[in-house]
Amino acid sequence: MKQKKTTALFLALPWIVTLLLFWLYPIIYSFIVGFTDKQLLSKTFQWVGFDNYKALLSDDSFLLALKNTAIFVVGTIPLTTIIALLLALLVNKQFKGRGLFRAGYFLPSITSMVVIALIFTNLFQRGGYIALLAEMLGFTPPQHGFLLDSSTALFSIMAMDVWMAVGYYMLIFLAGLKSIPQELYEAARIQGAGSIRQFFSITLPLLKPVALFILVINSIKSFQVFVEIFVMTQGKFETSTMVYFIYEAGLTTKFNFGYASAAAYILFLIVAVFSFMQFRLLKNRGTV
Amino acid sequence: MKFVKKLLRYVLLFFILGIMVFPLLWMFRVSLMESGNSISFDNLLTASFSLQNYIDLFTNSQIGKYLYNSIFVGLIVTVGNIVFCFMTAYTIARYKYIVNKVLFVSVILILMIPIHIIIIPMYLLMVNFGIYDSYFALILPWLVNPIGIFLVKQYIESIPPAMEEAARIDGAGEMRILFRIVMPLCKPVLAVLAIQVFFTNWNSFLFPFILTQSDSVRTLPVALALLQGHQAIDWQHLMAGSAIAVIPVLIVFIVLQKQIVSGITAGGIKQ
Repeated sequence: MKQKKTTALFLALPWIVTLLLFWLYPIIYSFIVGFTDKQLLSKTFQWVGFDNYKALLSDDSFLLALKNTAIFVVGTIPLTTIIALLLALLVNKQFKGRGLFRAGYFLPSITSMVVIALIFTNLFQRGGYIALLAEMLGFTPPQHGFLLDSSTALFSIMAMDVWMAVGYYMLIFLAGLKSIPQELYEAARIQGAGSIRQFFSITLPLLKPVALFILVINSIKSFQVFVEIFVMTQGKFETSTMVYFIYEAGLTTKFNFGYASAAAYILFLIVAVFSFMQFRLLKNRGTV
Repeated sequence: MKFVKKLLRYVLLFFILGIMVFPLLWMFRVSLMESGNSISFDNLLTASFSLQNYIDLFTNSQIGKYLYNSIFVGLIVTVGNIVFCFMTAYTIARYKYIVNKVLFVSVILILMIPIHIIIIPMYLLMVNFGIYDSYFALILPWLVNPIGIFLVKQYIESIPPAMEEAARIDGAGEMRILFRIVMPLCKPVLAVLAIQVFFTNWNSFLFPFILTQSDSVRTLPVALALLQGHQAIDWQHLMAGSAIAVIPVLIVFIVLQKQIVSGITAGGIKQ
């Protein structure tokens, strides 16, 4: 019995070490540092209490990052979810070449974000293809390109993110569709329900757990937007997000660890509340 | 009527397919254009094809080194995850001690904690350990991951423990049972895990970016992101570099599409 216990502990050792060293320690460390004025070059640092937090809440660039992150989350998630569902419905039925279309729609989501961001940096630039397309459709594209204009930069990046992510969530919706028993549709057909009626009374209600699951993972992802901002705008033109702010405050010029850590914890709190609410929602539906 | 409906369906399908693959096709096309050509729409169709940009990158830049770094780090992290996720998952699935309940809860908790909170401390940790800007910084934190543990644990629980018990009665040691009997049975899920880990690592940017600064350990995505904006590089070469980062992923995707899709949906749906 005792030997079994030792074996169990031994087997889990790599994970325990990783957990303590690379997860728990950093999480606690940054909580503590958030209450100090620690910077890279200063050997000593002092407790400053809630000063970092107070300063953050009156820091315009922090508030802008907060606002942008909120716009990102609220703007992309519903759009991504709805488009993904429509795509899933489109490629769910049996038809020739189905596999090809599914794979093609999914392709952007396995490509590196850096590569996608580079490609779209060109497509969005002045005289680029998207500007040409906008002109063809009768719009006036921004003079210096979509990414060099405060009124379009963030929305352009959001549009790219939706384009990139829909294929991934389409696959998850497809798995959800597959798990709906076919007998339900047969029964509905016998009772004379049309396909629209079937969609609203069978498909949609039974997909709710999947949709909520997608909501949870997509929002955790959207709160952490960084790579595309770094590659496409370097946070300029009012595109800075929370994680970009943390990076800029903590790991560039000033290396202001205390300040950046406090910002990280504010974001942590927001995400925690958000996730908690979503899990409550999931639980109420009796799905977890 | 039915024919028209079918036709409309395919028009829609192809239209969306065009939107989804155009940027990648564009990348490949531009990467095969001679440097100095404009990237106008006419040129996309008419300009000649050449591999010169790729040759330039491999002879005049460090891209070979970046590629090597990405593969090297990716392989070690993948092997680490296969072994360590499997070991941890086995413990959680089979030994029912309190300590394992704690472990399992911690796995779920870590899954939910946003990763940005460890950016600053991870940087300091690596600097203090003296492994900032080395392979160790890119490998050590990622040798085992909670999603992987969860995936393998679900799979092990679906295997009846009869075989292990029989082997135990025959006097086989725990390690032997683990690696000679259970592990081979887990091949399908470990394959899914390996693909996922390698892809994630191959595409990962944030941590390789903040934990390295020299060319000798820099991975491909980081190098590409930092190349952009350099005066010396044009779009043709930048897209050739991007294509080099995408091609391996594409090949793996085409060959192992089934495992990739099942990995995504297995991690996804639990009803």
